[in-house]
Amino acid sequence: MSIYTMGIDVGSTASKCVIMKDGKDIVAKSLVAVGTGTSGPARAIAEVLENAKMSREQMDFVLATGYGRNSLDGLADMQMSELSCHAKGATYLFPDVRTVIDIGGQDVKVIEIENGMMKNFVMNDKCAAGTGRFLDVMARVLEVRVEDLGDLGDKSTKEIGISSTCTVFAESEVISQLAVGTDKCDIIAGIHRSVAGRVSGLCNRVGVRDRVVMTGGVAQNHGIVKALVDQLQHEIFTSPLTQYNGALGASLFAYQKALKKQQ
Amino acid sequence: MSIETIVKEFSAVAANPKGQLKAYKDAGKKCIGVMPYYAPEELVYAAGMMPFGMWGSNSKTIQRAKEYCATFYCTIAQLDLEMLLDGTMDLLDGVITPTICDTLRPMSQNIRVAMSEKLPCIFLAHPQNRFADFGKQFCMDQYDHVKGELEKIAGHEIKSEDIAKAIKVYNKSRAARREFVKLASEHCDVIDPIMRSAVLKAAWFMDKAEYTEKLEALNAELKALPAAKWNGVKVVTSGIICDNPVLLKVFKDNNVAIAADDVAHESRAFRTDASEEGDPMMALVEQFTNTDYDILLYDPQSSKNRRGEFVANLVKESGAQGLVLFMQQFCDPEEMEFPYLKRALDAAGIPFIKLGVDQQMRDFGQAATAIQAFADVLSVQ
Repeated sequence: MSIYTMGIDVGSTASKCVIMKDGKDIVAKSLVAVGTGTSGPARAIAEVLENAKMSREQMDFVLATGYGRNSLDGLADMQMSELSCHAKGATYLFPDVRTVIDIGGQDVKVIEIENGMMKNFVMNDKCAAGTGRFLDVMARVLEVRVEDLGDLGDKSTKEIGISSTCTVFAESEVISQLAVGTDKCDIIAGIHRSVAGRVSGLCNRVGVRDRVVMTGGVAQNHGIVKALVDQLQHEIFTSPLTQYNGALGASLFAYQKALKKQQ
Repeated sequence: MSIETIVKEFSAVAANPKGQLKAYKDAGKKCIGVMPYYAPEELVYAAGMMPFGMWGSNSKTIQRAKEYCATFYCTIAQLDLEMLLDGTMDLLDGVITPTICDTLRPMSQNIRVAMSEKLPCIFLAHPQNRFADFGKQFCMDQYDHVKGELEKIAGHEIKSEDIAKAIKVYNKSRAARREFVKLASEHCDVIDPIMRSAVLKAAWFMDKAEYTEKLEALNAELKALPAAKWNGVKVVTSGIICDNPVLLKVFKDNNVAIAADDVAHESRAFRTDASEEGDPMMALVEQFTNTDYDILLYDPQSSKNRRGEFVANLVKESGAQGLVLFMQQFCDPEEMEFPYLKRALDAAGIPFIKLGVDQQMRDFGQAATAIQAFADVLSVQ
C-alpha cells in the first residue's frame, strides 16, 4: 500500500503544501500568498487536499516547517526547522547539491550540504536587508509588481549603487534616485546587486561549493540570480519548484517518519 | 528540600530582583549596585552591605536612558541606567561602575551625570597591563578608592579581617557554582537550560553565604541522582549573557542541553578564586590579575589565540558537540573577537552557530529556527 505524506511550509509571506506518494512522486501542491498568522496555512492545506482529491485522514504523516511551523494546532504530526527541510528538498531536486541559498520573506539562509545531509549553515542577522521583504518594500516604492522586478532590471543601461546595509536607508536612497529622475530599471538592477552583495557576504561565511542551488520565492527573480552569479562566480541552479522546496523537504521527512511509524 | 523546591526558590529570586532588593532593604541592609565586570564584590560584602548585580533586564524597553546614550550602545549598560532612572533600583545606596570596555567607560560618567546627587557612583578602572607590578599597583590604588567610597556609604571602616572572611564566603560560592555547572551537565535530564540559568542568575541577587548554602544543598541532591540518560545534544554557550527564559526554552524544546559555558554573566564570573592567605586586598587584586581567557582582558600574547583555543578545549572537555555563541548587539569586543574564536573552532572541527541577541528582543523565531537546525546538524554527527 502506498504511503502519502504532506509537507506544509508556513513562511512569513506565503504558505506552501506538497503531497507526495512513497517519498518519490509529487501528487499535488498548493501555494497561498499569505503566511503565518493568516488564513493562508489552512487555505493551502485545503487546496492541496482538493488538488490531490484526498482527505487529511488519508495522509500517513504531516510535517510542518517554516517560520509558522508551531502555529498549526494539531494539523501536523510534527514540525522541523526549515533549514533541514530546505536541505532535504534541494537534495531531492538536485542530488549533487553542495550549497543551498534560500532567500525567504524575512530571512536568508545558506546551507552547506555533504552527502545529502546538512553539515553547516548561516542565517542573516535580524535585519530585513537582503531578504524578500527588502524587495517587497522596494517594489512598493517603485510602484511595480515584485514579480516584474527581474524583467525590468534586464532593461537597465546604467549602473546605480544602492546600499545593502539597511532596508530603511536603502528605501530612502531609492526615493532620492526617483526624485532626481533616475530610470526605474537602473534602480531595480542596483537593488538586485544590493541584495546579491548582502547574500554573497553570507555565502562566503559558509564557503561556496558547486553545485549551488537557490530556493525560496526570491529565486524566481532572475535579476537576483544573475547578480549573485556575478558576485559569487559560481553557476546557480534553480527549479520551477523553488518556492515549494521547503514543503517538499518536509514531505520527504514526513515519509521517513511514516516509515518509522509503520515499523 | 527537593531539587524542584530549591530550583523554584532560585527561579523566584532570578525573576524578581526588585523584590529581592526591597527584602534586603526592609531587613536593614544597605545595598550596592554592581555593574559588569569584575568589581571586587567582596569589599561590599566585607562592609556588611549587600552587593546587587546589575545585568540589564529582559522585560524593559530603553526610554529614559536614551537621553544619555548614543544610538548604537550596549543594551545591558543602557538598561542598567534605565533601571536607575525609572525607579526600579531606587533603593540602592550606591553603584560601582567598572570601566573595562569602551562602552562602560563613558557609561560610568553618564550614570554619574544622570543620577547626580541621588546615588553615589563609585568609579572603578581596571588596569590593562594587569600582569606587571605597576598594573597590580594600579589595581590596588583603584580597589583602595572603591574601599574608601564604600566606607563612606557604610559609615564605618572595612577591616582586613572582614575582607578575609568575605573572600572565604565568595570562594566557597564560586566553588559551589563551578560544581553546579558540572552537575547540571551530568544531570541535564533534570536541570534544563532555564533552570540552570535561574540558579546561576540568582547568585547576583542573594547574600552569597545564604546562596551557597542553598546551592550546596541542591548540588548534594543532584549528586545523589543516577546518571542521566540523555538522548539530545549538548552545547557550550558563549557570550555576555543568555538569561532569557523564552530563548532558553527553545533549547529545552529541542533537547539541547548546556554542558558548560563561556558566558560573562555565568562561568566567566566565577572561574578565578582569591587567595585566602596574606594581605586580603592584594588577594583581591591578584584574583583579577590572575583572571584570563576573557575577551575584555588584554592578552599580550593575543596572536597565539589562546582564548580561542581555551573555548575550543572547553567544548571538547565538557563533552559538548558544538557551541552556541550569543552575540550581544553592539558589543564591539565580542564582535571583534569573533573571527579569532571562529578560527579556533574551525581548526578544532567544532560546529557552532552565532545568534544575534539583545535584551529588548521579545520574539525569538529566527533563533528558534537556527537552534532547531543546529540540533539537527549535531544529532547526525
